[in-house]
Amino acid sequence: MLEFLGSLDVILQDGFMYAIIAMGYYISYTILDFPDLTVEGTVLSGGVAFGLLVTAGVNPWLAMIAAFLVGFIFGAITGILHVKLKIRPLLCGILVSTALISVNLITTVVGMGGNLAGDGALSTIDVGRSVPTLIRTFPATLLPTDFFGINPRKIISFFIIAVIFKIILDVYLKTKNGLLLRAAGNNPQFVTMLAKNEGRSKILGLAIGNGYAAVSGALIAQSRGNINQGMGIGMIVIGLASLIIGLSVFGRVRFMKPTTMVILGSIIYQACLGFATFLGVPSAYNKIIMAVLFTLALVLSGKLKTKRGKINA
Amino acid sequence: MLELKNIKKYFNAGTVDQVTLFDNFDFTVNSGEFISVIGSNGSGKTTLLNLICGSIAPDAGNIIFEGKDITLLDEYRRAKFIGRVYQDPKMGTCPDLTIIENMALADNKGKNFGLSPAVNKKRIEYYKELTSQCGMGLENRMNVKVGALSGGQRQALALVIAQMTDIKLLILDEHTAALDPKTSENIMKLTDKMIREKGITTLMVTHNLRFAVEYGSRLIMMHEGKCITDISGKEKEKLSIDDLLGKFYEISIEKGN
Repeated sequence: MLEFLGSLDVILQDGFMYAIIAMGYYISYTILDFPDLTVEGTVLSGGVAFGLLVTAGVNPWLAMIAAFLVGFIFGAITGILHVKLKIRPLLCGILVSTALISVNLITTVVGMGGNLAGDGALSTIDVGRSVPTLIRTFPATLLPTDFFGINPRKIISFFIIAVIFKIILDVYLKTKNGLLLRAAGNNPQFVTMLAKNEGRSKILGLAIGNGYAAVSGALIAQSRGNINQGMGIGMIVIGLASLIIGLSVFGRVRFMKPTTMVILGSIIYQACLGFATFLGVPSAYNKIIMAVLFTLALVLSGKLKTKRGKINA
Repeated sequence: MLELKNIKKYFNAGTVDQVTLFDNFDFTVNSGEFISVIGSNGSGKTTLLNLICGSIAPDAGNIIFEGKDITLLDEYRRAKFIGRVYQDPKMGTCPDLTIIENMALADNKGKNFGLSPAVNKKRIEYYKELTSQCGMGLENRMNVKVGALSGGQRQALALVIAQMTDIKLLILDEHTAALDPKTSENIMKLTDKMIREKGITTLMVTHNLRFAVEYGSRLIMMHEGKCITDISGKEKEKLSIDDLLGKFYEISIEKGN
């Protein structure tokens, strides 16, 4: 029983924190149809920005906003490469995320007061017990950290942050600017006819998507207690799989917002991974399981679509 | 109001397949005219529209709109004063957005797309009024996604949307060609009614000779990048389809077909 609660703890924590990446993908992948590979870099950038600022004594909420802005800027660069230089979407993501490997490492080492010529021993940022992160400052401190083997403080904090970002996105998509973004993904020519530059909408969408990924990175950093340079690996799969699972499982539920579907999708995905751990599969197999689950999600969402198509026809 | 001067346009420039479509092409559109443009495939009709709208740039020459040179102006900037309806009904609307959302976007054309709510509830009655003139029952389906509408309904909506804000020039690019004969007839009547009410200067490319004869105040026939016929006024009123067919045969004989 305790073991099960322990798994539940991890599933909910991870579900909420990765849901923010998946919401970012809702903009870039679902709305703009742009398979954005930048995320692997921006998740880590967000973590690094957050970690350095928090260890320097900056308020963790401000640090999280800073993380968003960092992701926003790098996402915009991907967008500019695509829109202005006409580079294909996949390549834009590869280019920016490759450059970000160095950017993140340099920022970390320099930020930690290390020497770039040295052996890079300072490539990890510790945000452990002594650092006042979101979950160690008011108001999260009002919540207990242990309740029959689960950590309500982390779960509720992450839940609230995920919901805040969900509501911001929901509200944004109902604004003129948000509707224009949806139009840009749906029919770029329509945006041109509205006397607006559709390229700008795309750049903005990618910027927001990566801002979300970076915020998620800030949460991951707090959850793990440290930021290392390998943190971004696998984030594309986690984000996209959560998104696709959420939209295909709950796609037919009326009056459920896509952002809600995405959060639930993220929890389902983490539950599948958690179940594997629960069965005793060694964690070395994790990435294989992730890839297989993602494949299943893609295939199943395709099946659901064709079924619906047949009924309509 | 619109003048194309000495326009040159080549395709596959610099290769052995270089084709010269326009060579010192001149064309003038006067304010208030409703021009039908006809001509066989490859005669330059669509290229003419694309040059005017800014989808493509000429290799030489100038495009003057109300005294201003717009030759190098971006397509989206020209859209402020030019409205366009395409042959494909899918082009003029967003399928995943509802009728209201599509119209709310169009209603905001030329203004700032900021962070205020996209749909102003007070405007919905006005949107319904605009769609009701199509006579297709669209006003009762305002919350339906546009992708669920038929081609004719979408095209009617595209037509309404194209002229929701004050445009100075309306471009119709074979806008009835993808519709069945009955719908195509209805859309053409609706088009004519809207143009008359607002008095918008219009340029319509069509393959339907009857539409070209029955509607509009001026008719031009294009052939190999030139206007070979330009009829307006009384002469246009007397024109019959047979006259036009005769012209088409003349061209064919010249070409040796």
